[in-house]
Amino acid sequence: MEQLADNRSPPAWEGRATGGGTAASSPCWSCRGPVGDADYAFCSTCGAVQPPLPITHFQRLGLASGFQIPRDQLDAAYFDQARRLHPDRFATRTPRERQFSQAQAVSLNEAYETLKDPLRCALYLLTLAGRSSIAQERTIRDPTLLMEAMEAREALEEATDLAAVEALAARQRADRDSCLASLQQLFDAGDLDGAEAVTLRLTYLAKLGEDIRLRRMRLAMSA
Amino acid sequence: MAYSEKVVDHYNNPRNVGSFDKGDAAVGTGLVGAPACGDVMKLQIKVNEAGVIEDARFKTFGCGSAIASSSLATEWIKGKTLDEAATIKNTEIAEHLALPPVKIHCSVLAEDAIKAAINDYKAKHGESAAAAE
Repeated sequence: MEQLADNRSPPAWEGRATGGGTAASSPCWSCRGPVGDADYAFCSTCGAVQPPLPITHFQRLGLASGFQIPRDQLDAAYFDQARRLHPDRFATRTPRERQFSQAQAVSLNEAYETLKDPLRCALYLLTLAGRSSIAQERTIRDPTLLMEAMEAREALEEATDLAAVEALAARQRADRDSCLASLQQLFDAGDLDGAEAVTLRLTYLAKLGEDIRLRRMRLAMSA
Repeated sequence: MAYSEKVVDHYNNPRNVGSFDKGDAAVGTGLVGAPACGDVMKLQIKVNEAGVIEDARFKTFGCGSAIASSSLATEWIKGKTLDEAATIKNTEIAEHLALPPVKIHCSVLAEDAIKAAINDYKAKHGESAAAAE
Protein backbone atom coordinates (compact mmCIF):
# COMPACT_ATOMS: atom_id res chain seq x y z
CA MET A 1 0.00 0.00 0.00
CA GLU A 2 3.04 2.27 0.23
CA GLN A 3 2.67 3.52 -3.30
CA LEU A 4 -0.68 4.98 -2.32
CA ALA A 5 0.71 7.09 0.46
CA ASP A 6 1.13 9.97 -1.91
CA ASN A 7 -2.30 11.32 -2.71
CA ARG A 8 -1.46 13.04 -5.98
CA SER A 9 -4.61 13.58 -7.92
CA PRO A 10 -4.26 15.00 -11.39
CA PRO A 11 -7.71 16.19 -12.38
CA ALA A 12 -8.29 13.57 -15.02
CA TRP A 13 -11.72 14.79 -15.95
CA GLU A 14 -11.31 13.63 -19.49
CA GLY A 15 -11.89 10.23 -18.03
CA ARG A 16 -10.11 7.00 -18.61
CA ALA A 17 -11.85 3.88 -19.67
CA THR A 18 -14.19 2.98 -16.87
CA GLY A 19 -14.30 -0.71 -17.54
CA GLY A 20 -12.29 -3.69 -16.69
CA GLY A 21 -11.63 -3.24 -13.00
CA THR A 22 -12.49 -5.95 -10.54
CA ALA A 23 -13.37 -3.46 -7.83
CA ALA A 24 -16.95 -3.69 -6.64
CA SER A 25 -17.05 -0.02 -5.71
CA SER A 26 -18.05 2.76 -8.08
CA PRO A 27 -15.28 4.21 -10.23
CA CYS A 28 -13.03 6.97 -8.95
CA TRP A 29 -14.72 10.38 -9.14
CA SER A 30 -11.48 11.88 -10.38
CA CYS A 31 -9.92 9.50 -12.90
CA ARG A 32 -12.98 7.29 -13.55
CA GLY A 33 -10.71 4.32 -13.09
CA PRO A 34 -11.26 1.49 -10.62
CA VAL A 35 -10.81 2.66 -7.04
CA GLY A 36 -9.45 -0.66 -5.87
CA ASP A 37 -10.16 -1.89 -2.37
CA ALA A 38 -13.52 -0.55 -1.27
CA ASP A 39 -12.21 -0.03 2.26
CA TYR A 40 -9.45 2.25 1.20
CA ALA A 41 -9.69 6.03 1.29
CA PHE A 42 -7.69 6.68 -1.87
CA CYS A 43 -8.09 5.60 -5.49
CA SER A 44 -5.62 2.87 -6.35
CA THR A 45 -5.38 4.18 -9.91
CA CYS A 46 -4.75 7.91 -9.48
CA GLY A 47 -4.43 8.30 -5.73
CA ALA A 48 -7.30 10.79 -5.38
CA VAL A 49 -9.09 10.83 -2.02
CA GLN A 50 -12.53 9.20 -2.19
CA PRO A 51 -15.75 9.97 -0.33
CA PRO A 52 -16.12 7.61 2.66
CA LEU A 53 -18.06 4.46 1.90
CA PRO A 54 -20.56 2.91 4.32
CA ILE A 55 -18.16 0.26 5.58
CA THR A 56 -17.65 -0.96 9.14
CA HIS A 57 -15.24 0.69 11.57
CA PHE A 58 -13.11 -2.44 11.35
CA GLN A 59 -12.95 -2.32 7.56
CA ARG A 60 -12.13 1.37 7.65
CA LEU A 61 -9.13 0.67 9.84
CA GLY A 62 -8.17 -2.44 7.88
CA LEU A 63 -8.60 -4.65 10.94
CA ALA A 64 -10.32 -7.96 11.51
CA SER A 65 -13.60 -7.59 13.42
CA GLY A 66 -13.41 -8.42 17.12
CA PHE A 67 -13.71 -7.21 20.69
CA GLN A 68 -10.80 -5.32 22.25
CA ILE A 69 -8.29 -5.08 19.43
CA PRO A 70 -4.82 -4.73 20.99
CA ARG A 71 -4.19 -1.04 21.51
CA ASP A 72 -0.88 -0.94 19.62
CA GLN A 73 -2.51 -2.52 16.56
CA LEU A 74 -5.42 -0.11 16.71
CA ASP A 75 -3.16 2.91 17.13
CA ALA A 76 -0.87 1.83 14.29
CA ALA A 77 -3.82 1.33 11.93
CA TYR A 78 -5.31 4.68 12.90
CA PHE A 79 -2.17 6.80 12.68
CA ASP A 80 -1.22 5.18 9.40
CA GLN A 81 -4.42 6.45 7.82
CA ALA A 82 -4.74 9.66 9.79
CA ARG A 83 -1.36 10.78 8.45
CA ARG A 84 -2.56 10.40 4.88
CA LEU A 85 -5.68 12.37 5.63
CA HIS A 86 -3.94 15.24 7.39
CA PRO A 87 -5.52 18.58 6.32
CA ASP A 88 -2.09 20.00 5.40
CA ARG A 89 -1.89 17.52 2.55
CA PHE A 90 -5.07 18.94 1.06
CA ALA A 91 -4.55 22.63 1.73
CA THR A 92 -3.90 23.38 -1.95
CA ARG A 93 -6.39 20.87 -3.37
CA THR A 94 -9.79 21.51 -4.84
CA PRO A 95 -12.74 22.14 -2.48
CA ARG A 96 -14.10 18.76 -3.47
CA GLU A 97 -10.96 16.93 -2.41
CA ARG A 98 -10.79 18.91 0.83
CA GLN A 99 -14.38 18.00 1.53
CA PHE A 100 -13.79 14.29 0.86
CA SER A 101 -10.63 14.21 2.95
CA GLN A 102 -12.44 15.87 5.84
CA ALA A 103 -15.30 13.41 5.58
CA GLN A 104 -12.78 10.55 5.54
CA ALA A 105 -11.03 11.96 8.61
CA VAL A 106 -14.34 12.27 10.49
CA SER A 107 -15.26 8.67 9.67
CA LEU A 108 -11.79 7.49 10.63
CA ASN A 109 -11.89 9.28 13.99
CA GLU A 110 -15.34 7.89 14.68
CA ALA A 111 -14.06 4.38 13.93
CA TYR A 112 -11.02 4.82 16.15
CA GLU A 113 -12.90 6.34 19.09
CA THR A 114 -15.55 3.61 18.93
CA LEU A 115 -13.11 0.69 18.83
CA LYS A 116 -10.79 2.22 21.44
CA ASP A 117 -13.47 2.30 24.14
CA PRO A 118 -14.47 -1.23 25.27
CA LEU A 119 -18.08 -0.30 26.08
CA ARG A 120 -18.59 1.53 22.79
CA CYS A 121 -16.89 -1.33 20.95
CA ALA A 122 -19.19 -3.90 22.61
CA LEU A 123 -22.28 -1.82 21.76
CA TYR A 124 -21.03 -1.46 18.20
CA LEU A 125 -20.44 -5.20 17.79
CA LEU A 126 -23.94 -5.88 19.10
CA THR A 127 -25.38 -3.31 16.70
CA LEU A 128 -23.51 -4.89 13.78
CA ALA A 129 -25.02 -8.22 14.81
CA GLY A 130 -28.49 -6.65 14.65
CA ARG A 131 -28.87 -6.17 18.40
CA SER A 132 -29.20 -2.51 19.17
CA SER A 133 -31.63 -2.71 22.06
CA ILE A 134 -29.23 -1.51 24.77
CA ALA A 135 -28.50 1.80 23.13
CA GLN A 136 -32.21 2.45 22.69
CA GLU A 137 -34.31 4.24 25.24
CA ARG A 138 -36.12 1.50 27.03
CA THR A 139 -36.85 0.41 30.57
CA ILE A 140 -35.25 -2.64 32.13
CA ARG A 141 -36.41 -4.43 35.29
CA ASP A 142 -33.62 -6.91 35.96
CA PRO A 143 -33.62 -6.83 39.78
CA THR A 144 -30.11 -8.26 40.25
CA LEU A 145 -28.48 -5.78 37.91
CA LEU A 146 -30.48 -2.79 39.16
CA MET A 147 -29.95 -3.72 42.80
CA GLU A 148 -26.20 -3.84 42.21
CA ALA A 149 -26.31 -0.46 40.46
CA MET A 150 -28.49 1.13 43.16
CA GLU A 151 -26.36 -0.17 46.03
CA ALA A 152 -23.11 0.93 44.39
CA ARG A 153 -24.47 4.44 43.80
CA GLU A 154 -25.80 4.63 47.36
CA ALA A 155 -22.43 3.52 48.74
CA LEU A 156 -20.76 6.24 46.68
CA GLU A 157 -23.23 8.82 47.93
CA GLU A 158 -22.41 7.85 51.50
CA ALA A 159 -18.63 7.84 50.96
CA THR A 160 -17.43 10.96 52.72
CA ASP A 161 -13.66 10.67 52.37
CA LEU A 162 -11.21 9.85 49.60
CA ALA A 163 -10.25 6.49 51.11
CA ALA A 164 -13.85 5.30 50.97
CA VAL A 165 -14.18 6.52 47.37
CA GLU A 166 -10.93 4.80 46.39
CA ALA A 167 -12.19 1.52 47.85
CA LEU A 168 -15.32 1.79 45.70
CA ALA A 169 -13.19 2.73 42.70
CA ALA A 170 -11.06 -0.39 43.16
CA ARG A 171 -14.18 -2.55 43.24
CA GLN A 172 -15.60 -0.82 40.18
CA ARG A 173 -12.34 -1.49 38.31
CA ALA A 174 -12.32 -5.15 39.32
CA ASP A 175 -15.96 -5.60 38.27
CA ARG A 176 -15.27 -3.81 35.01
CA ASP A 177 -12.21 -5.96 34.28
CA SER A 178 -14.16 -9.13 34.90
CA CYS A 179 -16.91 -7.86 32.55
CA LEU A 180 -14.31 -7.17 29.85
CA ALA A 181 -12.75 -10.62 30.26
CA SER A 182 -16.09 -12.38 29.93
CA LEU A 183 -17.11 -10.15 27.01
CA GLN A 184 -13.94 -11.20 25.22
CA GLN A 185 -14.87 -14.87 25.64
CA LEU A 186 -18.52 -14.33 24.76
CA PHE A 187 -17.80 -12.36 21.58
CA ASP A 188 -15.12 -14.88 20.56
CA ALA A 189 -17.62 -17.69 21.08
CA GLY A 190 -20.36 -15.78 19.25
CA ASP A 191 -22.64 -15.86 22.30
CA LEU A 192 -24.59 -12.66 21.64
CA ASP A 193 -27.20 -13.19 24.37
CA GLY A 194 -24.44 -13.49 26.91
CA ALA A 195 -22.54 -10.55 25.45
CA GLU A 196 -25.65 -8.38 25.58
CA ALA A 197 -26.24 -9.16 29.25
CA VAL A 198 -22.66 -8.37 30.22
CA THR A 199 -22.66 -5.20 28.10
CA LEU A 200 -25.75 -4.06 29.99
CA ARG A 201 -23.89 -4.47 33.27
CA LEU A 202 -20.90 -2.67 31.77
CA THR A 203 -23.04 0.38 30.91
CA TYR A 204 -23.97 0.70 34.58
CA LEU A 205 -20.38 0.20 35.69
CA ALA A 206 -19.27 2.90 33.25
CA LYS A 207 -21.83 5.29 34.71
CA LEU A 208 -20.64 4.42 38.20
CA GLY A 209 -17.07 5.10 37.06
CA GLU A 210 -18.08 8.58 35.89
CA ASP A 211 -19.77 9.32 39.19
CA ILE A 212 -16.73 8.08 41.11
CA ARG A 213 -14.53 10.44 39.10
CA LEU A 214 -16.80 13.41 39.85
CA ARG A 215 -17.01 12.50 43.51
CA ARG A 216 -13.23 12.16 43.77
CA MET A 217 -12.77 15.56 42.15
CA ARG A 218 -15.24 17.23 44.49
CA LEU A 219 -13.60 15.68 47.55
CA ALA A 220 -10.14 16.66 46.33
CA MET A 221 -11.24 20.24 45.79
CA SER A 222 -12.86 20.55 49.20
CA ALA A 223 -9.83 19.01 50.93
CA MET B 1 -30.29 22.51 27.20
CA ALA B 2 -32.07 24.43 29.93
CA TYR B 3 -34.27 22.68 32.42
CA SER B 4 -37.75 24.06 33.05
CA GLU B 5 -38.47 25.84 36.32
CA LYS B 6 -40.52 22.89 37.55
CA VAL B 7 -37.69 20.44 36.88
CA VAL B 8 -35.23 22.69 38.71
CA ASP B 9 -37.66 22.97 41.63
CA HIS B 10 -38.04 19.19 41.95
CA TYR B 11 -34.31 18.73 41.47
CA ASN B 12 -33.41 21.21 44.21
CA ASN B 13 -36.25 20.22 46.54
CA PRO B 14 -37.07 16.63 45.72
CA ARG B 15 -40.27 15.42 47.38
CA ASN B 16 -40.48 12.13 49.23
CA VAL B 17 -36.87 11.05 48.90
CA GLY B 18 -35.99 7.93 50.84
CA SER B 19 -36.91 4.33 51.39
CA PHE B 20 -39.50 2.14 53.06
CA ASP B 21 -38.71 -1.32 54.37
CA LYS B 22 -39.23 -3.37 51.26
CA GLY B 23 -40.09 -6.43 53.40
CA ASP B 24 -43.14 -4.60 54.85
CA ALA B 25 -46.37 -6.20 53.57
CA ALA B 26 -47.92 -2.76 53.01
CA VAL B 27 -45.04 -1.65 50.78
CA GLY B 28 -44.67 -2.14 47.03
CA THR B 29 -41.27 -1.54 45.45
CA GLY B 30 -40.56 -0.73 41.82
CA LEU B 31 -36.97 -0.84 40.61
CA VAL B 32 -36.41 0.18 37.00
CA GLY B 33 -33.51 1.37 34.88
CA ALA B 34 -32.72 3.05 31.59
CA PRO B 35 -29.58 1.35 30.31
CA ALA B 36 -28.93 3.89 27.55
CA CYS B 37 -28.08 6.54 30.14
CA GLY B 38 -27.27 4.36 33.15
CA ASP B 39 -30.20 5.70 35.19
CA VAL B 40 -31.65 3.67 38.02
CA MET B 41 -34.92 4.55 39.78
CA LYS B 42 -36.56 3.06 42.86
CA LEU B 43 -40.13 4.02 43.68
CA GLN B 44 -42.00 2.67 46.70
CA ILE B 45 -45.63 2.91 47.75
CA LYS B 46 -47.21 2.32 51.15
CA VAL B 47 -50.78 1.11 50.76
CA ASN B 48 -53.48 1.11 53.48
CA GLU B 49 -56.31 -1.41 54.02
CA ALA B 50 -58.62 0.56 51.75
CA GLY B 51 -56.19 0.06 48.87
CA VAL B 52 -55.15 3.71 48.89
CA ILE B 53 -51.54 4.81 48.49
CA GLU B 54 -51.02 6.76 51.68
CA ASP B 55 -47.33 7.46 51.25
CA ALA B 56 -44.58 7.14 48.65
CA ARG B 57 -40.80 7.35 48.46
CA PHE B 58 -38.27 7.42 45.68
CA LYS B 59 -34.58 7.27 45.10
CA THR B 60 -33.20 8.03 41.65
CA PHE B 61 -29.67 8.14 40.32
CA GLY B 62 -29.85 9.90 37.01
CA CYS B 63 -30.23 13.27 35.36
CA GLY B 64 -32.32 16.16 36.63
CA SER B 65 -35.29 15.15 34.49
CA ALA B 66 -35.28 11.61 35.88
CA ILE B 67 -35.14 12.92 39.43
CA ALA B 68 -37.93 15.45 38.77
CA SER B 69 -40.10 12.84 37.04
CA SER B 70 -39.89 10.41 39.95
CA SER B 71 -40.31 13.17 42.53
CA LEU B 72 -43.47 14.37 40.77
CA ALA B 73 -44.71 10.79 40.42
CA THR B 74 -44.57 10.25 44.20
CA GLU B 75 -46.56 13.47 44.73
CA TRP B 76 -49.22 12.48 42.23
CA ILE B 77 -49.78 8.92 43.44
CA LYS B 78 -50.26 9.83 47.09
CA GLY B 79 -53.93 9.57 48.04
CA LYS B 80 -54.80 7.63 44.90
CA THR B 81 -56.04 4.06 44.76
CA LEU B 82 -53.79 1.53 43.03
CA ASP B 83 -56.03 1.56 39.96
CA GLU B 84 -56.03 5.35 39.79
CA ALA B 85 -52.26 5.51 40.18
CA ALA B 86 -51.86 2.96 37.40
CA THR B 87 -53.56 5.33 34.95
CA ILE B 88 -50.88 8.03 35.26
CA LYS B 89 -49.27 8.45 31.88
CA ASN B 90 -45.73 9.49 31.13
CA THR B 91 -47.09 12.15 28.77
CA GLU B 92 -48.79 13.88 31.72
CA ILE B 93 -45.53 13.90 33.66
CA ALA B 94 -43.57 15.14 30.64
CA GLU B 95 -46.12 17.85 29.96
CA HIS B 96 -46.26 19.04 33.56
CA LEU B 97 -42.46 19.27 33.75
CA ALA B 98 -42.14 20.65 30.19
CA LEU B 99 -39.55 17.98 29.37
CA PRO B 100 -37.79 18.43 26.03
CA PRO B 101 -38.09 15.55 23.52
CA VAL B 102 -34.68 14.07 24.41
CA LYS B 103 -35.82 13.71 28.03
CA ILE B 104 -39.19 12.09 27.41
CA HIS B 105 -37.75 8.70 28.34
CA CYS B 106 -37.22 9.99 31.90
CA SER B 107 -40.99 10.33 32.28
CA VAL B 108 -41.44 6.87 30.75
CA LEU B 109 -39.12 5.52 33.41
CA ALA B 110 -41.23 7.14 36.14
CA GLU B 111 -44.45 5.68 34.73
CA ASP B 112 -42.80 2.25 34.54
CA ALA B 113 -41.60 2.63 38.13
CA ILE B 114 -45.16 3.33 39.36
CA LYS B 115 -46.45 0.26 37.52
CA ALA B 116 -43.60 -1.90 38.85
CA ALA B 117 -44.31 -0.78 42.43
CA ILE B 118 -48.03 -1.54 42.04
CA ASN B 119 -47.27 -4.96 40.56
CA ASP B 120 -44.88 -5.72 43.38
CA TYR B 121 -47.50 -4.75 45.97
CA LYS B 122 -50.19 -6.80 44.24
CA ALA B 123 -47.95 -9.86 43.99
CA LYS B 124 -47.01 -9.50 47.62
CA HIS B 125 -50.58 -8.83 48.72
CA GLY B 126 -51.88 -11.89 46.93
CA GLU B 127 -49.30 -14.03 48.67
CA SER B 128 -49.74 -12.56 52.15
CA ALA B 129 -53.54 -12.67 51.88
CA ALA B 130 -53.31 -16.34 51.01
CA ALA B 131 -50.97 -16.85 53.93
CA ALA B 132 -53.32 -15.00 56.31
CA GLU B 133 -56.32 -17.15 55.48
